[in-house]
Amino acid sequence: MKKTNGNRIGMGIVCFALTLAITIQIKTMRLENSVVSQSFADDELKDSLLSWKEKYDKEVEKLADSEKELENMRKTATTNISNSTEKTEKLRQNNLLLGLTKVKGDGVVITLRDAQSSMQIEDASSLIIHDGDLREIVNELANAGAEAIEINGERIVNSTYILCAGNVILVNGEKISSPCTIKAIGQQEKLYGALERAGGTIQQMRMSKMPIEIKKTSNIEIAKYSGAITKKYMKSRGE
Amino acid sequence: MMMTITMIIGCVLGAVIGLLVPAIPYSASKYLAIAIVAALDSVFGGIASNVKKNFDVSVFISGFFVNAILAMLLTYLGQRLNVDIYLAAIIVFIGRMFNNLGIIRRYLLEKAKRANK
Repeated sequence: MKKTNGNRIGMGIVCFALTLAITIQIKTMRLENSVVSQSFADDELKDSLLSWKEKYDKEVEKLADSEKELENMRKTATTNISNSTEKTEKLRQNNLLLGLTKVKGDGVVITLRDAQSSMQIEDASSLIIHDGDLREIVNELANAGAEAIEINGERIVNSTYILCAGNVILVNGEKISSPCTIKAIGQQEKLYGALERAGGTIQQMRMSKMPIEIKKTSNIEIAKYSGAITKKYMKSRGE
Repeated sequence: MMMTITMIIGCVLGAVIGLLVPAIPYSASKYLAIAIVAALDSVFGGIASNVKKNFDVSVFISGFFVNAILAMLLTYLGQRLNVDIYLAAIIVFIGRMFNNLGIIRRYLLEKAKRANK
């Protein structure tokens, strides 16, 4: 009997020590807010990425639904009013100019790629497409009278920004990387000439061995702006 | 049966006191972690030997402390030498844990079979 008591007490002590140590360890790890290992941290990041993606997809669906609803409402609203056709036409024109509709027309398609790395060039930064390059090309296109411009499916509208974000470029908040396809609708000769002119952006980019292709193409389709155009601070002054 | 109750009491007491005690410095947590693995190994070993009816409390307790201290010393040595020696200790402890678990499992299965007959 005495022996079994001793056994029990020994076992109890070790169990006590074990849970004490585990509790303290968990507490310490939580306090330090450190990750136990790299793979655990990766898993957590992947989890959160997946959940964000899911959320994003849901929101996009919702947006599409709302847009449909809005379209329907517009239709019913305009059919109710007598001078509706004129108004619908005006609305359509405005949406077209704002970039809220898909458009089609003749123009140019520019394809930019990061240059292949070679041993001779010591500055690797000159091999890749930068946000500034895209901005300049967009600028040149606009200057040459382009009516609609798109970069990798992102329509350039009046609220568009093109920003560097590490190894990608943000256009309208969407990530873009090589290869970049820029489509522009406008008078083909003018656009082409503006891009290919001596000393232009494209020529400078070609000097650092970037493969750039410019093609005159007819019936280019350009996507509509998928974001929302909002106003919060500005008000109409009235006329 | 009494053994199980004592173990549960020990676990609860340990958890409660652990919650009251302040956290230890981060650099020491590596040593505590290896001690935890050693303790887990000891507990499984204790249960297994209890099952085999050759449980000896002095062997058990001394095994626990000596194993934990040796593992911690190895971890320290590994840090000095820039070798992850604690990995070896973890592998040995966990391997033994699975062995002991196998013994416990077989015992429980036998017991269940006998009860069915």
